Amino acid sequence: MLYMKLYIDQISEGYVILITGLLIVFGALLLLTAFFKFGLPVLLYIYKIITKGRDKKIKDISPNVNEQFTGEIAAAISTAIHLYLKEQHDEENAVLTIKQARKLYSPWSSKIYGTHNNLR
Amino acid sequence: MKKLFIIFSVLSLLVFIRPALGINTNSNAQSTLPVSTVEQVEESSSESFIQEAFDGIKQFYSYTGFANAAGGNLIMILIGIVFIYLGIKFDYEPLLLIPIGTGVILGNIPFVAGNQTGIYETGSVLNYLYFGVVKGIYPPLIFLGIGAMTDFSSLIANPKLMLLGAAAQIGVFATFLGALYLGFNLPEAGAIGIIGGADGPTAIFLSSKLANGINILPDGTTVKNLIGPIAIAAYSYMALVPVIQPPIMKLLTSKKERLIRMKPPRAVSQKEKMIFPIVALLLTTFISPSALPLLGMLFFGNLLKESGRTERLADTARTKLIDIVTILLGVTVGASTQADIFITKDSMLIFGLGAISFVIATMGGLLFAKFMNLFLKSDEKINPLIGAAGVSAVPDSARVVHAEGLKADKNNYLLMHAMAPNVAGVIGSAIAAGIILSFLG
Repeated sequence: MLYMKLYIDQISEGYVILITGLLIVFGALLLLTAFFKFGLPVLLYIYKIITKGRDKKIKDISPNVNEQFTGEIAAAISTAIHLYLKEQHDEENAVLTIKQARKLYSPWSSKIYGTHNNLR
Repeated sequence: MKKLFIIFSVLSLLVFIRPALGINTNSNAQSTLPVSTVEQVEESSSESFIQEAFDGIKQFYSYTGFANAAGGNLIMILIGIVFIYLGIKFDYEPLLLIPIGTGVILGNIPFVAGNQTGIYETGSVLNYLYFGVVKGIYPPLIFLGIGAMTDFSSLIANPKLMLLGAAAQIGVFATFLGALYLGFNLPEAGAIGIIGGADGPTAIFLSSKLANGINILPDGTTVKNLIGPIAIAAYSYMALVPVIQPPIMKLLTSKKERLIRMKPPRAVSQKEKMIFPIVALLLTTFISPSALPLLGMLFFGNLLKESGRTERLADTARTKLIDIVTILLGVTVGASTQADIFITKDSMLIFGLGAISFVIATMGGLLFAKFMNLFLKSDEKINPLIGAAGVSAVPDSARVVHAEGLKADKNNYLLMHAMAPNVAGVIGSAIAAGIILSFLG
């Protein structure tokens, strides 16, 4: 036998959803935070061990070592590259080459079939 | 010259109308008048010609917008024009406001029902386009484009800022509760609450699932169709973020706090950027599977961008595809505000709640940032202003934060930092939508 409440107290259910919802959202993003704070370096370290490549050491990835290379430097470099690539257009050489376009043969414009052929 | 033009246009109009009327009268005369004598027919037809012509004009008039216009239609058309004006003049999200504004005008042209014209009449072209809204098809496609645009590196560099995105979601749940107190039932309140997430596609997605006018509640009543009001409220408040947020920011932060300079984020390796979408997809969708269409597409788009091998696909997703979907979404959401369905007490309540939800979400983010500062070392303190970017509204709220930061200190560039809670807010509001959907769907 299934018993169902006919009348659900909306407000109290609202509070339940409010609390649990907020907790879950916080929990989910906290989990993401924790993962990227702690899990990701470990993951990269494991990857390094598996591949045994010349990959960076785990402490190279931590922010302390990378302090010299900040986002600002990256931004400056990328701005410079962007400007360079964009402005390039201004410094084009002045030599003009004329490209010969090959015309397709068409009887409609052919001189062989012109009306003035028989004028002799 | 002008007069000549007017005379000519009137004449040409007459020429166009005459055959239509003539045909009309002829056929009518033949069908209605039995032939008795020639004179009689001549007489009555010449008399009836004017009568019939008049009737024809009357009938034509009854089909025009002028005859069917209701006050509501005119108000909504005016609102549509205001939207377009705001978009053009003040540059408030013109990519959204201009399509929506045009849509509002389109949806409120008065017409005679039953000719497959309106957006709510099955078989009309607008109705087919609206299908993508009702079934929640457009929002995930928009999210795909957003994912392909978004750079999550500032978030990866400073993961704790993710919590600010969560804190701003208090706006969602507070609005949800407010809507319940105002007498909306649970699914409707859930859909209204998501306005606080400040994310248009998410709001449309959730309202199309919960408050679509189709679902039937346990007590046998049908939920109201609130997609139009909710979408319009969400998008118009998103456009008004530069107006809503600054006063709250000033109110809740001190001058000293606004001057806090944050450490520039570290450089993030490509490998980390590639791992992010996959891991974030797995974690978030395992927690909140109902948000799968949104989060799945968001992180898929981001993977296309970061993988380095699918630049073509990413490029299409973030330019052509999202443009197409934005056009369709904007126009159909705008057109769904047909006055007889849109102008109700509920819509007004939703607009009120929407404004409050934006305020609460902004406050939540700001206060949580201040709260976090209590636990952070002095060199790692965050500028509480960036908490306000936790309401999604990408990238407008981040821009507002940046502008406010510059007002306090000309050399304090917060944009990069503000993007982190901003994109976290997108993830957060999608998770919140998933939670509400799993509770109430």
